[in-house]
Amino acid sequence: MSLVPSELSSKLSIAVSAADFAPAPHQAQRERIVRPSLSYWQDVWQRLCKNRRALSSLYIVIALLVFTLVGPWLWTQAPALQDLDAISQGPSWSSSSALVVEDPGTWPGVQGALRPREEADGQTLGATASLAVAGLPSTQYVRLYWEAVNGAQHYLIYRNDHAPESNQDLGLPLGATLTPDTLSFEDRLQLRPQTYWYSVIASDGFEEAALSTTAAITLQRAITASQARERGLDDTLGAAVALPAHPFGTDYLGRDLLARVMEGARVSLFIGIVAPLLFVSLGIIYGGIAGYFGGNLDILMMRVVDFVIALPFLLFMILFRIGFGIGPGESGIIPMLLALVLLSWPDTARLIRGQILQIRGEAYVQAARVLGAHPLYLIFRHLVPNTLGPILVTLTFAIPMAIFTEAFLSFIGMGVSPPTSSWGSLSNEGIRTMLSSPHELLFPAFFISLTVLAFNLLGDGLRDALDSRLRSRE
Amino acid sequence: MLIEATHLQKFFTLNGGRRVHAVDDVSLGIAEHEVVGLVGESGSGKTTFGKTLIGLYDKSGGEVRYRGEVLPARYTAADFRQQASEIQIIFQDPYGSLNPRMTIFEIIAEGLRLRDHCSLASTRDKVVYWLERVGLSADHLSRYPHEFSGGQRQRVGIARALIVEPKLLVCDEPISALDVSVQAQVVQLLGELQESMGLSLLFIAHDLSMVRHVSDRMAVMYLGSLIELGPTEAVYFRPLHPYTQLLIASKPEPDPAHERQRQDPLIKGEIPSPIDLKPRCRFAGRCPKAEPRCFVERPVLREVQPARLVACHLL
Repeated sequence: MSLVPSELSSKLSIAVSAADFAPAPHQAQRERIVRPSLSYWQDVWQRLCKNRRALSSLYIVIALLVFTLVGPWLWTQAPALQDLDAISQGPSWSSSSALVVEDPGTWPGVQGALRPREEADGQTLGATASLAVAGLPSTQYVRLYWEAVNGAQHYLIYRNDHAPESNQDLGLPLGATLTPDTLSFEDRLQLRPQTYWYSVIASDGFEEAALSTTAAITLQRAITASQARERGLDDTLGAAVALPAHPFGTDYLGRDLLARVMEGARVSLFIGIVAPLLFVSLGIIYGGIAGYFGGNLDILMMRVVDFVIALPFLLFMILFRIGFGIGPGESGIIPMLLALVLLSWPDTARLIRGQILQIRGEAYVQAARVLGAHPLYLIFRHLVPNTLGPILVTLTFAIPMAIFTEAFLSFIGMGVSPPTSSWGSLSNEGIRTMLSSPHELLFPAFFISLTVLAFNLLGDGLRDALDSRLRSRE
Repeated sequence: MLIEATHLQKFFTLNGGRRVHAVDDVSLGIAEHEVVGLVGESGSGKTTFGKTLIGLYDKSGGEVRYRGEVLPARYTAADFRQQASEIQIIFQDPYGSLNPRMTIFEIIAEGLRLRDHCSLASTRDKVVYWLERVGLSADHLSRYPHEFSGGQRQRVGIARALIVEPKLLVCDEPISALDVSVQAQVVQLLGELQESMGLSLLFIAHDLSMVRHVSDRMAVMYLGSLIELGPTEAVYFRPLHPYTQLLIASKPEPDPAHERQRQDPLIKGEIPSPIDLKPRCRFAGRCPKAEPRCFVERPVLREVQPARLVACHLL
């Protein structure tokens, strides 16, 4: 009896031939266990890719470089362009449109007939019968005019951002008219596209009237015709033009912060990458010579290193900066670069000397010497490839150090000089308005922190990936 | 003699001007096709002697003649190049002796590349030939040292040294870092190569039975000086110097019954510091047979029996 129901067995039936029962031929190839041979650097790369933190840091570093190098091509706002109408604006993605209005100062104002001076008590002064706006109220100007009040010697104008509850709550005193016959006022004080409550109150020269007149006026964003012309926009009166958005907001001069941060990144990363490249190379050459030749030369060279390391770093950075002197129109980047290089090379020199001394004693170097290797061959074939790992780690740790030093010096005002911006100098400018518009400090500070963190984590990951102790030697 | 060291000295100067007598007045020659085993405790100067002999260390005194010609006291790259196809060395540490950034092909081909500019194809053929001769296969050419075991690396080291076809090979403790089973294979390989190529070997080791197995003559070093030299079997079974007697007696016995009957620690104490030595017998402080004379006069190596040289006042 079949164990499998007949209908099922027919479904399961597989075509089996005699050939399937022939013994498998012995193939030597099958028993070979082969995995692709990895060179040292391929192995390091694999280890680095396994380290999520290091890999994401690498992506961040790449993104930062793209931001710095490609950003200015995509974000074409000039970092130095000031817009005093848009001071310390918060971050916003939406671009606003603005009306083109005529230039301020072209309004003659409203004159009233000079009324005879009456001997009246201040308390008897009445409120003005009307308060109106001439033309369109815009962020460029608000042109107020009102009717004369009997006995008024001048008028006081107030502005508030909410409806006043009493005469004590009229808000910001904008000014006073100088003569009794001036019945108008042009407000140009830091106007924003919002509703303001304007109040006019008459005065007999000694006391204010008890009554005021208030009008709520909603302002429209506007740009003057001459500004529009300067920026190459349509300058017909009444036209709506689009104003650029400021995703990072603007600074205290109305400059676009995103463009400023991009420009500052260029300075910060330039110093942060070029300075380490220079001082690490200097350290490699110096340490390599000391380690390779050894003896008294080594002792002498290492004493020089000790001397430079003993110098107080920041004090000397500042002294260098003063010593170099920065003339008008100079950015101060080169003196800072030089100072960084001159003070930072000894650490690398020590490290490389130690590495060279260690590798010089390795048996494979001795084997190469016995085989007749020239010193240059030893250096480039054996010593350099085996010190590349530590060099790379030093370099990745030197970069955040240099960026941080640059930012610190610029922050305390000893770094790049205005108008050149770097993240440090942007932070310095931002800290003045920290309480009212924190974004001016937060964005550059965030970029400094992100860059320093990314390079540090990348260096950490690289060190782990290169560390031969973690690597199996068998 | 193929190579002959006479009164060879190597001192290292420490901070403060103190001198380490690593090799102090050693005279030793190696004939063609001969295997000389050099034994001694750790710190006796065996390795320093080997490296000074071939020029890896500058000589502090004495001279070395190769086929009658005096070798330079301080080697330059050109001296090494000239000597490369005559004298080679293999190292103790199979891990440190191969550059971790180079493939096996690059490592083995190094000697050929440095000597003459052969075509890549002929270099490759030669490297494959040597790789197979030391018991590895052509598959291994593009691999890196970290993919190999200690024994395999030592084979690569042997191939690197022998591809330039030297006459003399200094084996600096080639087996002491290997497993016992692998030691035998490597010694076997060295023996075969020595015979087929007609090599002369200076075989440095501290394993007495391994040295006895491979060498024709055995030399014993103690604290930088050579104290006994003679045919291997004679030195091994009838040691003359008190130190050699103790050294051979302290060799572990494979037979447990025998081992149990053995008397307790035969050599007392440790090898003394080789710094600023006085003129006296190097072994006097630990020698059970020491006489007052041993503490004031340094014995010279002299022939006490035919072909047997010993440095001891008592013989």
